[in-house]
Amino acid sequence: MSTTEIPSEVTGRVWKIVLDPGAKVDEGDPILILESMKMEIPVEAPCKGIVTEICVAEGDAIVEDQIIAILEN
Amino acid sequence: MKAAVLRELNKPLEIEEVSISKPGPREVLVRPIAAGVCHSDLHFLDGSYPYPLPTILGHESAGIVEEVGSSVTYVKKGDHVITCLSAFCGHCDKCLTGRLSLCQSPEVSRAPEDEPRMKKGDETIHQFLNLSSFAELMLIHEHALVKIKEEMPMDRAALIGCSTTTGVGAVFHTAKVEPGSKVAVIGCGGVGLAAINGAAIAGAGMVIAVDMMDSKLDIAKSLGATHTINASQGNAVGEIIELTKGGCDYTFEAIGLKSTTEQAWQMLGAGGTATVIGMIPVGTMVELHGVDFLSEKKIQGSNMGSNRFRVDMPRFVDFYLEGRLHLDQMISQHIKLEEVNNALNALKTGEEARHIIMFEE
Repeated sequence: MSTTEIPSEVTGRVWKIVLDPGAKVDEGDPILILESMKMEIPVEAPCKGIVTEICVAEGDAIVEDQIIAILEN
Repeated sequence: MKAAVLRELNKPLEIEEVSISKPGPREVLVRPIAAGVCHSDLHFLDGSYPYPLPTILGHESAGIVEEVGSSVTYVKKGDHVITCLSAFCGHCDKCLTGRLSLCQSPEVSRAPEDEPRMKKGDETIHQFLNLSSFAELMLIHEHALVKIKEEMPMDRAALIGCSTTTGVGAVFHTAKVEPGSKVAVIGCGGVGLAAINGAAIAGAGMVIAVDMMDSKLDIAKSLGATHTINASQGNAVGEIIELTKGGCDYTFEAIGLKSTTEQAWQMLGAGGTATVIGMIPVGTMVELHGVDFLSEKKIQGSNMGSNRFRVDMPRFVDFYLEGRLHLDQMISQHIKLEEVNNALNALKTGEEARHIIMFEE
């Protein structure tokens, strides 16, 4: 087992959390959706695994490189 | 309603029947008459800018108000409008300091727990940039549109909804180009051509268009470029330094590449300002030679031309009607919604200016 931290590539705001901790994901599955400069930007699982932590809440402001979710794979 | 839906990256849009919600209190239902197919749509189609799918692309349109929500007083059924993705809340710090295009308030969208604006059965169809104009109807916030004169042709008006405002606005508002100054614009797509036209209107003394297609450089000349450089035939940076005797006062990057952004910086003279309009793919880094900062060069971004679109767009309409803003040359073809994939493919080759989808009136 290893863990994968998922950083945000942009500064913005959390618009919608799609999956909760415990959810199984395949590579490419959207975990949450950010909003930045009027764009909705999905944050996708980089690999197959289980979501162990969502580190942000809907409405939170986030900055580039901030860890927003953790997967166990 | 009929709409062109993006379901999978790098695959053709599919023409489907999609349902659209009723206007909420501050929403407006618009029947688009014309919608431009913009190069920015390609960035989302190819995934260089990720977006939730399925979605309906399109963000450059003009149309007629069909129905308004209970609290809307600005427009009424039958008004002619241009839509704009720079939907503003009107009361955040950005709006209150006159930088409406930087408003990030979520209240212009529906909240995640609300019924989505568009659906197919139970499936949410994500609205693209609060607009989604490749569809027979658009449900948008009242602060995502501006009323225009009915004499303005809808196909030309649609261009003002994005490319014109982005290019001309970058010149007028972001860079504040001074009369007599030396300007270079890299990339002669819809936005770059608009920047060239804007620089001419602003009274720039030298307007240098840079592209790799002679056909686009010919259009650039007709919009006010005083000089053209075909970048496929030599060193564009060197040519511009020589032509301007030391570099430009203002450069504009209108493609969205690392290399051309760096060239926009290299083309500047001392004290010059580079403005990056193009959408550089997420994750791309740009490198600048640090010693250049000693010559007080500046580089800045520009989003949607730093617009205040309810002021700017009616002015651009007047510029067109007065013959100062040249939109006719920007349109290469009028097409039907079903032909949108051909238009997107044509954009990839970079040979044509703009396809406009015309909906039945």
